Amino acid sequence: MRISRAISVASVSAFALGLSGCSGGDAAPAAAPTRASSPLAAHAAWSRSADSGATAAVYFSLVNRSTVADTLTGARSELAEETTLHVSMEHGGTMHMAAVASLPVPAKDSVAFQPLGAHVMLRGLRRPLVDGDTVALTLTFASGRSIPVRSGVRLP
Amino acid sequence: MHGTVMDPPSAAPPLVAAGDTSVPAWSLKDVAGRTTLLFFGYTSCPDVCPTVLADWARAKRALGSDTADYAFVFVAVDPARDSPETTRRHARQFDAGFLGVALSDAEVATVTRDWGFAVYPEGDPRQPNYTVAHPAHAFVVDRRGRLRLMLRPGVRGEDIASDLRRIR
Repeated sequence: MRISRAISVASVSAFALGLSGCSGGDAAPAAAPTRASSPLAAHAAWSRSADSGATAAVYFSLVNRSTVADTLTGARSELAEETTLHVSMEHGGTMHMAAVASLPVPAKDSVAFQPLGAHVMLRGLRRPLVDGDTVALTLTFASGRSIPVRSGVRLP
Repeated sequence: MHGTVMDPPSAAPPLVAAGDTSVPAWSLKDVAGRTTLLFFGYTSCPDVCPTVLADWARAKRALGSDTADYAFVFVAVDPARDSPETTRRHARQFDAGFLGVALSDAEVATVTRDWGFAVYPEGDPRQPNYTVAHPAHAFVVDRRGRLRLMLRPGVRGEDIASDLRRIR
C-alpha cells in the first residue's frame, strides 16, 4: 500500500525528522479489517514480538475516507498497563520519543504510523507477543468515533 | 556509502561494562579484529532501538558467511531498568549472535564523556514510563579499533551490509 503522507509531525514538533519511509524493507502482514461502516480504518497493523513486561510499538496506516478531518486522541488495549501515542524524533544527533496527546487525521488522506515516527506504545505487556499472535487495541477520535485494530505480531 | 564516513578515522574511545555476578565484564577490546557496530539505547525503547536491531539482523543475514568478521553490540544506557542479563537477552531476540551489554550509571557517565554524546531520561525517572534520550546513530568501529562510520536509523539492512563490506 502506498502511504500518501508521512505523519504530519510538523504539527507536533518543529524537530527535523528522519521519516524516510519504512525501514529495512518491512513488509506488513495482511491488513486487519476494521468496522466497514466507519470512514476511519487502520490498515496493515503490525507489531514486533516482545517479552511479557516489555514495551512494544504498533504500526499501521490510518485512513480517513471522510470529507471531514478528525483527530486521533487516544488508544487503549487490555494487553498493556499503559497505551499511549508516541512520536520518535531526532534532534541534533539525539533520538527522543515524546508522548503526544493527539494526532490530526486530515480528510480524504492517510497517516503513516511507522518505524522511527509515530506509533502506539504498549508499555508493560501483560503477556508476551509471539510471532503469529494478534494484538487488539482501540483507537479513539475527537469526533467520538472509535475503531478496533488487530495488529499482527511478527518476529522482531 | 549509506552512512557518514569519518575521515580521517580516529581511535574509538574505550567502552567497558563491568557486568555483574551473572554476566561477565565486556570491553570493546574484546572484539578487536572484528568490524563492530555499536548502538546505544535501552531495552524498553519500543520504536527506534528495535528498528535498528531488526535492520542489523537483516544486515547480518545479507553478509552471509562472513559474519565471524563482524560484531553487533547493543549497549544499554538505562541502568535503572536494564540489567546485564536483561540486555543480553534483549539483543539475542534479534539475532542469536548479537551482543547485549548494559552500562552502570558510572559507566554511562564515562562513555558519554569519552564518546561525546548525550544520554538522559525524559519524563519522571521515578515513574516506570520515562523514556531515554540516546544517540540517533550507530557507530562502526573497524578491526583496528578506529571509528569509521556513523549510520543513521532507517538505513536498510542490505545497505548496512554493503557499507560494512567496504570497511577495511
